[in-house]
Amino acid sequence: MFFRILGESFLRNPARKWLEGAALALGMAITTAAMLTALDVSDRMAREFRSLGANLIVTSQTDTLPLVIAGTDFRPVEEGAYLRQDDLGKLRMIFWRLNIVGFSPFLEAPAEIERGTNRFSTRLIGTWVAHGVPVPDGTTFTTGVLSTHPWWKIEGAWFPDSPAAAATAARDASEAPADSGADAAPLDAVFGASLASRAGIHQGGVVLLRAAGREVRLRASGILTTGGPEDQAIVAPLTLVQNLTGHPGDYRRLLVSALTTPEDQFARRDPDTLSPADYDRWFCTPYISSIAFQIKQALPGADVRVVRQVADTEGRVLGRLSALFWLVSLTALLAAGLVIGSASATTVIERRREIGLMKALGAGRGRILSLFLAEQVLLALVGGFLGYLAGEGLGFLVGKIVFGVPATGRLVLFPVMMALALAVTLAGSLWPLGHVARLEAAPVLRGE
Amino acid sequence: MMFWRLLRQMIVQGRGRLAVALVALVSGATVSAALLNLEFDAERKITRELRTLGPNVMVRSSAAPGAAEDAGAVFGGEALDALLATRTGAEAGEVSALAPSLYVIVHAGSDTSLVLAGTWLDAFPRLTPWWRVDGAWVTDRSDATVCLVGHQAAARLQLRAGSELELRYADRTAALRVAGVVGTGGPEDDQVFVNLPVAQKLSGLPGKVSMVQMNVGGSPQQVERFSAGLAARLPGLDVRPLRQIAQAEGQLLARVHDLLFWSVGLILTLTSLCVLSTTAALAVERRADVGLMKALGGGMNRIVRLFLAEAGLLGAAGGIAGALLGALLSAWIGRRVFGTAATLRPEVIPLIVAVMVAVALLGALPLRLLSHVRPAAVLRESE
Repeated sequence: MFFRILGESFLRNPARKWLEGAALALGMAITTAAMLTALDVSDRMAREFRSLGANLIVTSQTDTLPLVIAGTDFRPVEEGAYLRQDDLGKLRMIFWRLNIVGFSPFLEAPAEIERGTNRFSTRLIGTWVAHGVPVPDGTTFTTGVLSTHPWWKIEGAWFPDSPAAAATAARDASEAPADSGADAAPLDAVFGASLASRAGIHQGGVVLLRAAGREVRLRASGILTTGGPEDQAIVAPLTLVQNLTGHPGDYRRLLVSALTTPEDQFARRDPDTLSPADYDRWFCTPYISSIAFQIKQALPGADVRVVRQVADTEGRVLGRLSALFWLVSLTALLAAGLVIGSASATTVIERRREIGLMKALGAGRGRILSLFLAEQVLLALVGGFLGYLAGEGLGFLVGKIVFGVPATGRLVLFPVMMALALAVTLAGSLWPLGHVARLEAAPVLRGE
Repeated sequence: MMFWRLLRQMIVQGRGRLAVALVALVSGATVSAALLNLEFDAERKITRELRTLGPNVMVRSSAAPGAAEDAGAVFGGEALDALLATRTGAEAGEVSALAPSLYVIVHAGSDTSLVLAGTWLDAFPRLTPWWRVDGAWVTDRSDATVCLVGHQAAARLQLRAGSELELRYADRTAALRVAGVVGTGGPEDDQVFVNLPVAQKLSGLPGKVSMVQMNVGGSPQQVERFSAGLAARLPGLDVRPLRQIAQAEGQLLARVHDLLFWSVGLILTLTSLCVLSTTAALAVERRADVGLMKALGGGMNRIVRLFLAEAGLLGAAGGIAGALLGALLSAWIGRRVFGTAATLRPEVIPLIVAVMVAVALLGALPLRLLSHVRPAAVLRESE
């Protein structure tokens, strides 16, 4: 009997059920989509911030003080300490390895290029473009300035950076006697735009380069614009510079770009003073300080520094954005709740007559209440479910439009949304239901 | 007159259900108004946050940087004066901070070489707010007795805030007190910072600087245009916008803009639809009233006009209340998130009221479909 009445109620007057269900589903869709965006915004934007470049710098602990002026290190090559590139694969073995977006080792040397009778002094910068680094777990990680310096603009092509090409280049550079380098086939390198225009070098042009007492012929495979000191320099494969300067396998500076969580009060505490449980929590959160700590553990003798300029701004903007979206989704939630509540209240209020009739026919208050509540619960479940699905779809769409990557679906939100739908529907209907159920049958039926 | 009396009666009699519908309209309008206020403001505030990325234009002498022994070319005189005037001159609105620097390699301690940067120390809290200073900033650009030391340099030379430091260049020396130790993660960690005249005197380069750093406001295109204009006026100098910052800023802002635009648009649409379905439910529930009016001889046009007037009033009331509440809400969110209340946009209020009236009227549309109902059937059915 109970279910027959319930079924009848849905069949006999579908319009209002539809409308209330639609309000429910829409409200839940807003909330789900807003929550999805809020949950994702920090992660997604963190990835965008990687366009700012590296946020960690690794140097040797025993290095002398760098004499860097406007991005150029004026120390002689012989001075200071170096780090070994063989260890770099270990960076992809740390706890937060997947947060390491990329890294590039650098080795620089003063150099001189000869073009006809003119000589130009410049700097030779050795690094990786997209270099396959063997990781101890057997995989290969491809990294280099393409991931750590995304704002570098190249006209033409980068030099080949596969291990095989690098090996050939290395052999050519180191085996050729110092005075016959001019006869060997030219090696590919990339020339800074200012240097290129000053020395009149075009793409494909060949120059003789002199660095650390050795000579090598370089072909300009591309012209590089960076807005930084590299515009005045030559960027060449790391192996080439290592061999020219007699430091095979060494680098001086490593730039690491890592995805991090904005620092909070907890992150700023000294890890040595943390209790074991707190230490685990600190270690297992991708704070920039804990990633720096893990890199230091992976690379013996290294000193890891956080580039505050990037890390601080990133942390602040990310924190603000994520707070903003949490508040926005909270507001959306509140409004959706109120709208849904009022939709259910409207339907209940409008059914006073029905209730009066039921009462007149001898239905008890408990019976009437349970009937209406069952109806509302059913609506809430169906509307909430549809709303959750629609919300996931919308979140997916927004992620796709804004970031090109759809938002991650969150099953966690499903029970939350269903509970929420139930809560607001019941809250919206309970008050008018209680009110109506107390009424006498006759006056209601008369329309008073 | 009859019309208005009927309308008043309807509103007074049905205040229960109208109040409920009003709740829906007001909450929808509140969220919409708050989001519209925020949309615009959040973007501007995030831009300001990104500005703290620091100097985005560098001016250097366009002579090529020298070999290892030479600390790069210096410039001075009229070109420098012209540059420094940009802070106070016609471009003052664009240049929010600037500092000239002279770099020299000096000796300190037993035999440590390090980079000495002579600059306007008082400009740095604005120019590079991310510096962490252990000790105190220097607030006077003419104070020739103090310096800031990068923390790597400080560790090497065993210095702390308050220590004494002697710098040597050729046969000249300068004795300084360490005001603070700075940590930046950048090359500044290895340097010592003094006020410009100290470095100029020590290096014997009076009136000369190696570089001027500027913080220029506006979009990447505006910065580019500013740099081009400056470069055209100052031949011999190399004016260079920092691509790293300009590009990242542009990219980030575009993302933030998209994100706000789409989520605000989505929430607005859904909220309006949600409110719409509530008002439509209200209208559907009033079939009995329509039937009764018809039975009493009301013309359909008149009845519809009556209900539309009711819906319009409801929408207007909801819109106004919501716009005001939304202003409060966005002010609160702005203070929570950015520390300052979001600036209100007056044009939001009429917009919200219009949207809410439209939604309420649209919601009343199902009534129109009732024009063919036969009073008897409707009245009977509703029992």
